[in-house]
Amino acid sequence: MKIKYSLFSRRQFLNGLIGGWVGAMLAALVYPIVRFMFPPTKEPDEVILPVADYKDMAPNTTKMFAWGRKPGILKKNDDGSLIAFVGVCTHLDCNVMYIPEQRKFFCACHDGWYDEFGTNIAGPPPKPLRQLFVSLEGEELIIKKEGVE
Amino acid sequence: MRIWMDERFGLSSVAQFLKNKSIPINKHTMWSYTGSAILLFFVIQIVTGFILIFYYKPILEEANASVVRIMTEVPLGWILRSVHSWSATFMIAFLFVHLLSIWINKAYRRPRELTWMTGVLLLICSMLFGFTGYLLPWNDLSFSATKVGTDIPRAIPIVGEWVTKLLRGGEDVTGDTLTRFFGIHVCILPIFLLVLLAVHVYLIQKLGMSVPLEEEKSRKKTKEIPFWPNFVYREAIVWLILFGVCLTVAIFFPPSLEKMADLMAPAPEGVKPEWYFLFLFQTLKIFPARFLFISGETVAVFLILLGIVLFFFLPVIDNKPEERKGKIVRATAFLFILYFLILSIWSLL
Repeated sequence: MKIKYSLFSRRQFLNGLIGGWVGAMLAALVYPIVRFMFPPTKEPDEVILPVADYKDMAPNTTKMFAWGRKPGILKKNDDGSLIAFVGVCTHLDCNVMYIPEQRKFFCACHDGWYDEFGTNIAGPPPKPLRQLFVSLEGEELIIKKEGVE
Repeated sequence: MRIWMDERFGLSSVAQFLKNKSIPINKHTMWSYTGSAILLFFVIQIVTGFILIFYYKPILEEANASVVRIMTEVPLGWILRSVHSWSATFMIAFLFVHLLSIWINKAYRRPRELTWMTGVLLLICSMLFGFTGYLLPWNDLSFSATKVGTDIPRAIPIVGEWVTKLLRGGEDVTGDTLTRFFGIHVCILPIFLLVLLAVHVYLIQKLGMSVPLEEEKSRKKTKEIPFWPNFVYREAIVWLILFGVCLTVAIFFPPSLEKMADLMAPAPEGVKPEWYFLFLFQTLKIFPARFLFISGETVAVFLILLGIVLFFFLPVIDNKPEERKGKIVRATAFLFILYFLILSIWSLL
């Protein structure tokens, strides 16, 4: 069946065509820009440290290591076992420090406190410090994140 | 020559407009000078900023050292950096006074709603200038303050994580963040600010200066003086004084050089943002970790965002300026000043 009149004018058709073209071009421009803004910064699955650097630690002391681009804290407990944390506060991401005299981790930004096992005990931190898993394999100390075999 | 230029540019109508422009004179006229004072400091920012770029290096390894060089080796570099830093402080301070005076005097009433809204956007833009500029010397205080500042959006569900990564250029505050902040500070924000400023100034010219509510009601002819030259001369006096004060403070209290930031070092004691963020910083600090079943941080961030939205739409909310509602809106301004002062001082204790 032939329609006797046009559904839209030539002007409308051209406007739609040009509008669609401009829209498609913008979308094609925006996508790479958005992708470009987010560089890949994957957290490491594991970090391997030489045991020699860490075996002489006294109980109740800590040593730093690089967990990707975050500070990692390795702590020796009183029973000689090792425990590791990602050394950033769970409140607003400041780097924390260990205060051996008080047996607590402390975040200076907003007065956040964690006990020696990383549990949040005072101030604004909503969660315990993120714990990493430490294992000893020969001369290597392997620090893994949760869920990595 | 003048005629030749005018045939091409047609600027005589602008000159004519400025010649006929007049400024109402009343007991609130003194607040009109705050706007041009902001403009003065903004121009100082542009000039000193251009000059600082000649020596500043926006990369992780060199940023701090290049600021040290500006402060110690480059002839008069310390004054230029000091003026840049102090003029920013003055600019923000005058922005607060400017907006508060308009809030209290209700100069944003119809038809000046959009003038207010562009003004609020200019304030936000200027605070972002401050936020991005604070990181550029790359010292341990500004590093930790930026970690906190860029982590705050994370408290917003769904988009928050994304915003944080966008600001930081990744998961953490690193050299990428520094370079990104530099780009935002010297390239993206200036464009936004200039466009907003153009709209803002255009609206002020189009709509003229507001007269106080009482005077508008009494309908008697308001006292006026010509913009050119009378008002401009008065403004020139204010500018000279303010420039002198800014320069004096900059010479006697130059910003210090702190230790270079270390990505792995624990946050130093006394981390704090620029003074105009202190009240927000303290607000975040006093919120408990949990608030019923959601995190206190999320509640605080939402309250702050709500505050900004209400502030932006103030002329729409305050639609009956003479009635009880209008009085409450005015009282809120004083409450805000009180809140700002108390929390800022508290955070310094």
